[in-house]
Amino acid sequence: MATAFALPPFVQPEGAAQVRAGIRAFLAANPPPTDPVLRANCWSVADPAFSRALGSAGYLGMVWPTQYGGHARPPMERYIVLEELLAAGASVGAHWIADRQTGPLLLRYGTEAQRRRYLPGIAAGTLFACIGLSEPGAGSDLASVRSRADRVAGGWRLGGQKLWTSGAHHAHVMLALMRSEPGSERQQGLSQFLIDLSAPGVTIRPVIDLVGNHDFNEVFFDDVFIPDYALVGTEGQGWPQVTAELALERSGPERYLSSHALLVTLIDTARAAGAENPALNAVIGRLVAELWTLRQMSMATAAKLAGGGDPSVEAAIVKDLGNDFEQRLPLAIQSVLDLDLDASSPLVRVLAHLLQVSPSFSLRGGTREILRGIIARGLGLR
Amino acid sequence: MSQMRQQITEAAEALFADTPDWARLAEAGFPLLLVPEDVGGTGGGIGGDWGDAFAVLRVAGANALPHPLGEAMLAAHLLARADITQPPGLTVIGSGGGQWQGDRFTGWVAAVPWGRDADHVLAAIDTGADDPVMLLLPRPTTVTPGQSPAGEPRDRLDYVATSGLALGNADHSLYGAFLRTAQSSGALDAALTLAIDHVNARIQFGKPLSKLQAVQQSLAVLAQECAATAIAGAAAAQALDRGQGAMEMMAAKLRTNMAIHKGVALAHQVHGAIGFTQDYPLHRLTRRLMGWRSEFGGDRWAELLGAATMLETGQTLWTDITRRSDQ
Repeated sequence: MATAFALPPFVQPEGAAQVRAGIRAFLAANPPPTDPVLRANCWSVADPAFSRALGSAGYLGMVWPTQYGGHARPPMERYIVLEELLAAGASVGAHWIADRQTGPLLLRYGTEAQRRRYLPGIAAGTLFACIGLSEPGAGSDLASVRSRADRVAGGWRLGGQKLWTSGAHHAHVMLALMRSEPGSERQQGLSQFLIDLSAPGVTIRPVIDLVGNHDFNEVFFDDVFIPDYALVGTEGQGWPQVTAELALERSGPERYLSSHALLVTLIDTARAAGAENPALNAVIGRLVAELWTLRQMSMATAAKLAGGGDPSVEAAIVKDLGNDFEQRLPLAIQSVLDLDLDASSPLVRVLAHLLQVSPSFSLRGGTREILRGIIARGLGLR
Repeated sequence: MSQMRQQITEAAEALFADTPDWARLAEAGFPLLLVPEDVGGTGGGIGGDWGDAFAVLRVAGANALPHPLGEAMLAAHLLARADITQPPGLTVIGSGGGQWQGDRFTGWVAAVPWGRDADHVLAAIDTGADDPVMLLLPRPTTVTPGQSPAGEPRDRLDYVATSGLALGNADHSLYGAFLRTAQSSGALDAALTLAIDHVNARIQFGKPLSKLQAVQQSLAVLAQECAATAIAGAAAAQALDRGQGAMEMMAAKLRTNMAIHKGVALAHQVHGAIGFTQDYPLHRLTRRLMGWRSEFGGDRWAELLGAATMLETGQTLWTDITRRSDQ
């Protein structure tokens, strides 16, 4: 038999319930927004004060060594904290990228000085990061990156432009992929740099999305000087570093919980309305079955990662199925409810919001087509 | 995977691929997989857990095994759990309706897998009361043959004042849903394997079909559906082994039904007309999958699961799902 996803179901470690009780107590003391529109897709909603509180309570940099401000907890405890934050709709957008991606990358490839310089702030919830990959001419075809880093005395000079940079306006640093070898092609000659966004020559401009929100930015580098120590990892090894980073961050609970606030609001609204609705029950039953299955898949993938395995195909499967689920969820609810989308109640506002923003879920973090290509390679077809 | 599970699975893979008859399956002990070692007649049961059953039934599904192995396995398990000695011959599970009075049953059991061959059926009988009564029934008064889309026996059994044994009130159809989930998981994986082999071998437009991006993307989706079914079934087995499992078996069957919907269509699509012949083995899997989709509760589990969810607040949905995995 083919084994595209031969993972054993995940067994929670001892103490899972206590970890969960702890983060729930934190959330009771630091409650998420009451407006379900802000609880939906909440890892795009930034609240620096909430991130700071989370950091003070020890919920950021959870698995990192203590000498860098981390808390040396097992990876699955962090998973529990993440899924609780997302299910509750907490505004985790400010620190999300730094805690999920930038910090682990520095631990893996960074120098001792870089770790000491950045990790404690990330773990404290006071230092935020964004990812500089896409450019005007480099979307899914990331190897088309043209932004340059040219060697100069004592450091590098940057030129070029990044685009679709989520949260750059909240971030202190950008982890960017730049072409560091003049004249190099495609995947060759790329390097990663951690860029201080307050450096002279950096300009950040908003790109307002279709619902009027400011999440995306375009970031210009106009002869920006960065010191030697801004290089992350090995010069010229940016491509393998980035692809490893992307593959390992695709299977988290944010890939199936972005529409969860709508499901919660729907259940509460329908219960308040009282009347039994078998058609609605059937829709909810199917969604619950999918939610439960996706959580099993996501946890099993996280456990494989925590155990040192490479679940890049499994992660692509979780992300694609999860995106499909969180995109179909608002559509299924729209189909079964007879409601005017007139912004007259929290339910119809969160429904309308997700109907508009959910198409982006299968674009960010690797498009559906890219993910299916990764899965096809795992099946031996490419 | 435990060593025992690996051994049982390998034994199943070797035997089920060898077109065994029922006698060989019974001799190898597979129907008694879920019966403790100190019960179950000569030699006792195998004493496997639900994870072992899931693994073996996946192999049965992948081989389109044309025998009521899972039905017999479940009947034996439910009998052992009720402290009933295993009757000789074949016992399968089923459900039906009628009257149960003075230890006599008059009524019917519908669409019984291999009902014509069964010496006994363990049936959940709707008598009009709140819960069905579970009856161990001997051979019926009359058998009306029926068949599944794949041509497997699904027979109606009618009883007139037949003496039986009542085992209490229970509905085992959820266990049947678990059985179909496990078989479907194996059958979907086998369909994926056939599809991959086919697109690698079949040349069109001067190259293997597998080099066409549209075909790659279709098979990626099929693989996702295989993955979702496998993990849902394995997680339901894990919940059963912890003494829970009702919600999980419902959810797993629902997710499986979605996977069959998408997966069968994709497996056929990439095969073209070649997959549509009597000679090519794909239909042995896909016709069974289509039948299994409606057996032991099709999407009626959705309404039940939804109604149960609606009993509590929206937030409770999450606390309930997480409570089930935190041990």
